[in-house]
Amino acid sequence: MRPEDFFAQLTVDKSAGEKTGFNPYYHTVLSGTENGVISFERENLIDLASNNYLGLACDPRVKEGIERAARTYGASLCGTPIATGYTGEMARLEKTLARFVGLEAALVFPSGYQANAALFSAIAQKQDLILVDHYAHASLIHGAKSTGCKFRPFLHNNMGHLERQLQRASSHRQVFVVTESVFSIEGSIAPIKELAELCDHYNALPVVDDSHGIGVLGTRGHGILEHADLEHFEGIYTASLGKALANAGGMVAGPANLIEYLRYYCPGLVYSTALPPSTIGGVLAVLDIIEKEFHTLSGRMWRNKAMLVDGLCGSGFEIVDSEAPITSIRCESAEQTVALSKLLFQNGIASTPFIPPSVPSHACTVRLIAGAGVSEEDMKRVLEVFQRIAVQERPGTKKSP
Amino acid sequence: MNLQDKILGIIKENVEKSDAVDLESDLRNEIGIDSFEVTMIIDALEVEFGITIDETDFQKVSTASDIVALLKQQYIRDH
Repeated sequence: MRPEDFFAQLTVDKSAGEKTGFNPYYHTVLSGTENGVISFERENLIDLASNNYLGLACDPRVKEGIERAARTYGASLCGTPIATGYTGEMARLEKTLARFVGLEAALVFPSGYQANAALFSAIAQKQDLILVDHYAHASLIHGAKSTGCKFRPFLHNNMGHLERQLQRASSHRQVFVVTESVFSIEGSIAPIKELAELCDHYNALPVVDDSHGIGVLGTRGHGILEHADLEHFEGIYTASLGKALANAGGMVAGPANLIEYLRYYCPGLVYSTALPPSTIGGVLAVLDIIEKEFHTLSGRMWRNKAMLVDGLCGSGFEIVDSEAPITSIRCESAEQTVALSKLLFQNGIASTPFIPPSVPSHACTVRLIAGAGVSEEDMKRVLEVFQRIAVQERPGTKKSP
Repeated sequence: MNLQDKILGIIKENVEKSDAVDLESDLRNEIGIDSFEVTMIIDALEVEFGITIDETDFQKVSTASDIVALLKQQYIRDH
């Protein structure tokens, strides 16, 4: 194929955006997400789109942590962690994160996606089997499939189905069972204790991605293991540092020898420029705030979630039953999903529409995350908008049963 | 249990919306099964009947009845 033909066949399906006159993706953002408000193309919108669960992304103490680290180390160490990129602050962050999630050791990656995508290629072999929850994040699926070993999904949070798969997996060298803690669209929470017990029984290794759980779940915000009261988790833990932890980057935690092995043999870490010192300073500041103020911050986050659910209940929108501070509205098609997101945008609300290929066609969704930064007054405005939309021009969302 | 009921049971055990599945429901367009659910169904059928199914054969089927017919015609003629 000639280069021009090759490039010409790379096309994007923008039909939903063209039909609705609204492209909901790649808005030009002109502000931080501060006090629950974000500016898209000079429009100030109530931020129900970002993953800023605790509202800490623009906290002055976090900015100060970022600035202090940048003043000390500059923009970058211009090297991978194994070379010049492993700062004293990174070593401190690794220890702090390990203690935070209750595991022996932790490793910081340039992104959450990279942590998940790189992990399996470093530890899995061709004779292994990787069982993955049907609704697991793309990074986990990408990582698991990249290994070349056998890959099998199991039904979402269905431990009976998982057990049937484990029962016939004895011929494999190692079996990994991979799940998320909080599923980012459904807001469902994995039965991690039961899953860990099954893994223990069948000699399999659990791998949990706590990206939407760290800083959100547990009495102190320490994540899924605290939430499930799992003190001795004998598996691998991963998470993003860019959601409730309000920065960027990713982590892997687990036994010290696993972390030491990855430190030298995980290509996604060893060959990638280290996370900037400023970001590490920011994460450390957030972790410090969570230790002191989680109760207050999470109280606001759950208040907002309750207001949203109560307000939408009976409005005719099909709300996905969620255990996490994620509220999703199911829509009948990609076009109607984008249309709802457009309507919210026009009424001053930023939301996240999920359409194929991100989700199957029957699972088109508008996701709303009302973090701790969104004021009670703005939440009331959100509910007024939904009431108006529900009466006037609800665009093709599914009816509540 | 006859073969048809057995196959229907296996399909229902391997899709998220199992309650909605009957012999004539369109698995992709009506039930909305995705490629992972197809993988789970094929895997379970292979284990149950000790066969190896060509995934391209599954691209032609739309209902549980079609799967029953496919298996009878091409994979488990002795049953």
